[in-house]
Amino acid sequence: MRNTAESTVVVKGASSSRGALHRLIKQIPLPLLPLFIFLTIFFFWPIGAVALKAFKDNDGAYTFTNIQLLFQDPYRLAFKNSISLGFISALVGSIIGLILAIAIEKRGGIRLKKFVASISGVLANTGGVPLAFMFLAAFGPEGLVTNFLKAIGIDLYEWGFTLFSFTGLVIVYSYFQIPIMIIVFSPAVSSLRREWQESAENLGASRFAYWLRVGIPILLPSFLASFLLLFASAFSAFATARAMTVGNIALVPLVIGSLLDGNVTLNQANLGYALALGMIVISILAMVPYLYIQSRTSKWQK
Amino acid sequence: MKKISNYVSKNILSTTILLVAAFFLFLPLIGATEFSLRDGGPDRHSFRSYKWIFEQSGFKENLGVTFKVTALAVVLNLLIMVPTVTWLHISGQKYRRLVEVVTILPLIIPVVALATGAQTALPSFLHNTVLELSFMYVVIAMPYSYRALDIGMSGKPLNTYVAAARNLGASWLKVLLTVITPCIWPSVLAALFLTVALSLGEFTLAQLLHWSTFPTWVSNVSQENILGATALSVGSLFSAWLLLFGFTFFGSNKTDSSKDKE
Repeated sequence: MRNTAESTVVVKGASSSRGALHRLIKQIPLPLLPLFIFLTIFFFWPIGAVALKAFKDNDGAYTFTNIQLLFQDPYRLAFKNSISLGFISALVGSIIGLILAIAIEKRGGIRLKKFVASISGVLANTGGVPLAFMFLAAFGPEGLVTNFLKAIGIDLYEWGFTLFSFTGLVIVYSYFQIPIMIIVFSPAVSSLRREWQESAENLGASRFAYWLRVGIPILLPSFLASFLLLFASAFSAFATARAMTVGNIALVPLVIGSLLDGNVTLNQANLGYALALGMIVISILAMVPYLYIQSRTSKWQK
Repeated sequence: MKKISNYVSKNILSTTILLVAAFFLFLPLIGATEFSLRDGGPDRHSFRSYKWIFEQSGFKENLGVTFKVTALAVVLNLLIMVPTVTWLHISGQKYRRLVEVVTILPLIIPVVALATGAQTALPSFLHNTVLELSFMYVVIAMPYSYRALDIGMSGKPLNTYVAAARNLGASWLKVLLTVITPCIWPSVLAALFLTVALSLGEFTLAQLLHWSTFPTWVSNVSQENILGATALSVGSLFSAWLLLFGFTFFGSNKTDSSKDKE
């Protein structure tokens, strides 16, 4: 019932375009205005500019040429690489992160949690350039890790290993993906109350039944949502990719970066906006399942 | 007895997993640290590469810029987010979904795309100051800080606390500062750390908007000297970590002592 009431309000608001913006602003309650004004200036407006400019040619006339270019190599290949990188590194990061988050919760200890929280915070966000250089030093042909592995009989470089590869990127990305997963997912694990497990056990549930009926249904939405966040973060990672690749793997963010730095031929001035729009569209496609999950969990919570 | 042995075996498994994780986490850290201490060969070590950092021009200036940008970003973030999320939990429940969706967009929309837009769309008075980065950092930290605060407030009877405090005559500001904030202190700290960590290491926006901050300076200086670059990377990661570790450890002692007893 409540849903229908809300949707009629929305329909009413949309039916008269005159003063629609005014009405929209009026519908936002006062306490939310600071947030919305801030986001409009620093987020919605810039994104709107990208969407608009993607469809314009150098003279400001509307065109689809920029968009058509996205479906041709080298840009098509760049999208393919970025999507696979996002998916694989999100898979690796979310599964390892899930195991670690549960282990941390089980192991308990407020000190451990604090330690993990701070180190995850640093790794998740200071990643980028320092992270890339650390890996290059440690896993380089003369690095300590390489030598250590050689000493125990694993010669990485004999196998043709190089960090400047897709696998190398996945390995390095997992050093910020796993911490992000732990940060985002740990609260969900903590919200599993011990009482629930105890009451399930008191009612005769096995540990397996508890996880099947209680634990997993509660954690799954957060897990899937976290996976999508990881996909987005790897798909759009710029700093690490910039430091780790030597132009051998085309990735969309890198292509945009070089276009923004002015490596543009005259007829491609707005191609960067089209590429950015392409990234936005893919990211939004990843978000639809997230929204679906969210609506499911909010129903369940009520 | 069965319960106890169960608990112990679970703990051993968790501990083993965590130790393995720690090994893989610290392996590259230690490897890079060793590499950064090398002096002319794998067997000679010194702090030469670290001294080299301080000799490079722009070290202090760029670090200063980054600190300034970070400080403004943290203040702005908490000023906007804490009251907003509190209101959503107390009397704006029907807007929670909306805000949740809106605040996750900055994470879903790639920073590279945001930078592309910001480059053309921001008002010019903001474009002329490096502090524009602070505003952008608040935007990209928002998905994390909103979620941290939201999770912290969920499941807490905030309405009861607020009603009690208001009945006793506390002003809204006082409620926010002395009731809500202590109650969700771990979440506030989490939101704060995320903003600090993100701002200290942010590279993409700074680079694409053509500002010189500490991370972009590191990237430029690193082109010249791989040992120095490694020293810089190790140094910046460890100092950021120390800073945040100090924050977490000393910042939340009071509130967490109650949890220890549980």
